[in-house]
Amino acid sequence: MNNFTINSTAELIDALRSRGDHRVRLCGGGSRHHAQTARPFDSVVIALAGMNRIQRLEPDDLTCSVEPGVPCAVLHEELAAKGLELGIDADGTIGGFLAADPVTAATTGAASARSALLGAEAVLGEGKAFKAGSRVVKSVAGFDVHKLLIGSRGLLFAATLLHLKLRPRPPAAIDFCTDVMEQEAASRRFIALRSLAPAPVRLSLLFDPSGCRITGRFAGRANWVATALRSNGVREAKLAAATPFDEHSGNERLAGLVPPTQVRHLLRALPVGAFARIHGNGRCEIDLPAKATDALLRAMPELFVVAAIIGGTAVRRGQGTPLDAGAVRLDQGLKQALDPQGVFV
Amino acid sequence: MDAVLKSLIAIVGKHRAIVARDALLAWECDGFTVHKQLPLAVVAPETTEEVAALVRILHAGKVPFVPRGAGTCLSGGPTPMAPSVVIELARMNRVLQVAADDLYAVVQPGVVNLDLTTAVAHLGLHYAPDPSSQSVCTIGGNLAENSGGPHCFKYGMTNDHVLSAVVVLPDGSIAKLGSEAGPRAPHGFDLPAIFCGSEGTFGIATEITVRLCRDAEAVHTLLASFGDMPSACRAVSQIVGAGMVPAAIEILDQATIRAVEASIYRAGYPEDAAAVLLVELDGPVAVLEEETAEVRNFFAQNGALRIEAATSPTERKKLWRGRKGAFGAMGRLNTDLYVLDGVVPRTKLVEALNGIYAIGKKYAVVLTNVFHAGDGNLHPNISYDGRNVEEVARVLAAGREILQLCIDLGGSISGEHGIGTEKLEHMPMMYTEADLEVMARVRSVFNKDNLCNPDKVLPSRHGCAEVAKWPAMIARVLDGEGQS
Ligand SMILES: Cc1cc2nc3c(=O)[nH]c(=O)nc-3n(C[C@H](O)[C@H](O)[C@H](O)COP(=O)(O)OP(=O)(O)OC[C@H]3O[C@@H](n4cnc5c(N)ncnc54)[C@H](O)[C@@H]3O)c2cc1C
Ligand SMILES: Cc1cc2nc3c(=O)[nH]c(=O)nc-3n(C[C@H](O)[C@H](O)[C@H](O)COP(=O)(O)OP(=O)(O)OC[C@H]3O[C@@H](n4cnc5c(N)ncnc54)[C@H](O)[C@@H]3O)c2cc1C
Repeated sequence: MNNFTINSTAELIDALRSRGDHRVRLCGGGSRHHAQTARPFDSVVIALAGMNRIQRLEPDDLTCSVEPGVPCAVLHEELAAKGLELGIDADGTIGGFLAADPVTAATTGAASARSALLGAEAVLGEGKAFKAGSRVVKSVAGFDVHKLLIGSRGLLFAATLLHLKLRPRPPAAIDFCTDVMEQEAASRRFIALRSLAPAPVRLSLLFDPSGCRITGRFAGRANWVATALRSNGVREAKLAAATPFDEHSGNERLAGLVPPTQVRHLLRALPVGAFARIHGNGRCEIDLPAKATDALLRAMPELFVVAAIIGGTAVRRGQGTPLDAGAVRLDQGLKQALDPQGVFV
Repeated sequence: MDAVLKSLIAIVGKHRAIVARDALLAWECDGFTVHKQLPLAVVAPETTEEVAALVRILHAGKVPFVPRGAGTCLSGGPTPMAPSVVIELARMNRVLQVAADDLYAVVQPGVVNLDLTTAVAHLGLHYAPDPSSQSVCTIGGNLAENSGGPHCFKYGMTNDHVLSAVVVLPDGSIAKLGSEAGPRAPHGFDLPAIFCGSEGTFGIATEITVRLCRDAEAVHTLLASFGDMPSACRAVSQIVGAGMVPAAIEILDQATIRAVEASIYRAGYPEDAAAVLLVELDGPVAVLEEETAEVRNFFAQNGALRIEAATSPTERKKLWRGRKGAFGAMGRLNTDLYVLDGVVPRTKLVEALNGIYAIGKKYAVVLTNVFHAGDGNLHPNISYDGRNVEEVARVLAAGREILQLCIDLGGSISGEHGIGTEKLEHMPMMYTEADLEVMARVRSVFNKDNLCNPDKVLPSRHGCAEVAKWPAMIARVLDGEGQS
């Protein structure tokens, strides 16, 4: 069975209807398939990168409608040319980004995949097309089925059109960092910077064996950005690019959620050789030697940390701290209701 | 039923159960007074465990039930359409935890929106979503409706502020959706996002964790009056087009201004103005000075008749007084008020308003407009006498046509008030059968037996008689092509 490359919703429906007994792995840019669970051998890949049109861009309404295969880099460029932005460090294709909902360096209150997605058109595994939400900035008509796309990892439905909320691009932005600090001081500083009004639009505490640093970005009017930099005792510096995960290092990568006041406890609990990036929106990524992961995952609930393995061997991906039993039942129920034949894997 | 009631009363005690017909009248409807029905009983739990015990009994007895906060909903959400027991959550009104450094609070669902902000004000924090009903409505109701408010233009709707919720599901089991650190675990779906806006049909939230926001250094409020509505709307477009994100952008039309000025909410708005535009900016002082000057400039460029500015809390309250009291002021115009809630792309505001005025004329209804201009979220308000059945039918027909107009302009039938029973008939105007069927599948995951707030949000063939009688009457009005 061949894999499918799709250019339209009609083609997607055809492909889903003609897949026979094969299950389907959806693929956007396919940039980071290391983060997914292993693909069953009997599955086919449906690649949506060909659905790559920006269908509508309304700068005055601060909305746009884009097909899922639009590369985020292309969208960023189009928006920047019109003085707009998504306000999220999206990578890959926009559909893949929303469905993966990867950890980004955003801070609390900043735009997120969830706040950016206003509505969507999509197709269920059985080939049924539907829509939810709307293309205007505000709508509460009906249940927000489209929001289930966020972090759904291609398991519930295939998005075919995304209505997104845009923001005016701030006139000025400066990236900053602090000196290297010890853990306690860094944790305190992190909480203080996160609590500013307005808060930095990006904020990360970076931990490596040499110590901790905080990086971030102030954005807004030029005079304020300069003042914010001065009055918070940080210096201008380029934001460090996210370290790519090295599949062959013997390490694993965890993605998770940590309340800011627990950051110091989490840092203390990290094993030797671990690297961590903890962001202002409570999300974090930790790279650590695989043999230390299980112990850390076991310790995490005590620290109010929720995490799962997103990098490492295929069999280990998706394992994580225990989730609430009721929530797990609802997750399973949603999968069963929206994809009763288990088409998407 | 008697046995079920006895078991319910055994859980909460007699003093927290209401069964007397007269007393039940207070629960027969919400702010949408067209649909009314007495509940079978009202019970008022105080803990998650009590809610779960009540729901287990109701589920076992196959008795429908309806969660209720303050009953300020404007779409019939908490109205017990099927013979139901109302689970009144007003007594669950404790702020359980304030985590100031983590910027969140855990509250029971009956906490009044404004009370949360008051409770954290000394910490320099507030809860951002601020429905105009915030002095009464509850966080549980806000979560269920995904409520907005004037300041949601900048800060987002309730959904953007909910981190987690403990929920009693309609079978009486308990689930925790999300966590204090964030709504979605990396190995789970975004359950808080789908629960938010489910209008009491997915279960009962009994503990809600919401984000708190740090207060801005300063707040400036500007009010400008204009001789015509397009000028006010143009000023809004210029402000947003210049890259500013004001905390709030609100417009009142002339009919609203006059109603406000004739009421106890009198705010000194010029009665000869066709529109009053309120713009609130918040942020660092230095930024506000620049932005205020720019906004004034846009006002002037669009021929503002009068501009007022306020920086102190007392002055700002005065400028907001008329806007906040607008719905209350309508009470003077007639016995009932139908508050519509359509949304259009902001660039279509003028076109939408012209259409709305024409529809009002066509159906000879008394129509006023107050709206969240930044979001294109219109609130055409129709004042009417609910005892006059013919007038009610005309009002509903006008409402239906206004919502169709919003859809035709690329918008939505509800920006923040929800579907409830009011817009059940309008859902197929916006969504196909397939869209609605997918929504029904999601509801069935939470509410398999459809006992939790039945006959809401999704139209069904077996809807209740009270709701079903209206479409026929509206059809008669539409056949007669309105009046005048
Ligand atoms: C589960 C998961 C978690 C990840 N977390 C992180 C992280 O924390 N940090 C990080 O740096 N990177 C992470 N990544 C990498 C992530 O893939 C990239 O960050 C990028 O945004 C994905 O874009 P892409 O176009 O390459 O998508 P792909 O890698 O092709 O797909 C990403 C996911 O989205 C699904 N998908 C793609 N298109 C659609 C669609 N139209 N409708 C529905 N589902 C679709 C796919 O099945 C897949 O599960 C994660 C990836 C996955 C799969
Ligand atoms: C004057 C006035 C101004 C208003 N302004 C605005 C505004 O600016 N923006 C806006 O969005 N709305 C506004 N509203 C509408 C209304 O106030 C909101 O919808 C509000 O969120 C309802 O809260 P409540 O506590 O009154 O809930 P209720 O009216 O009691 O219930 C609303 C819905 O929520 C469900 N529910 C209640 N509690 C729970 C719970 N704990 N768990 C699950 N479901 C629950 C009910 O079943 C019902 O379906 C206004 C209303 C009035 C009367």
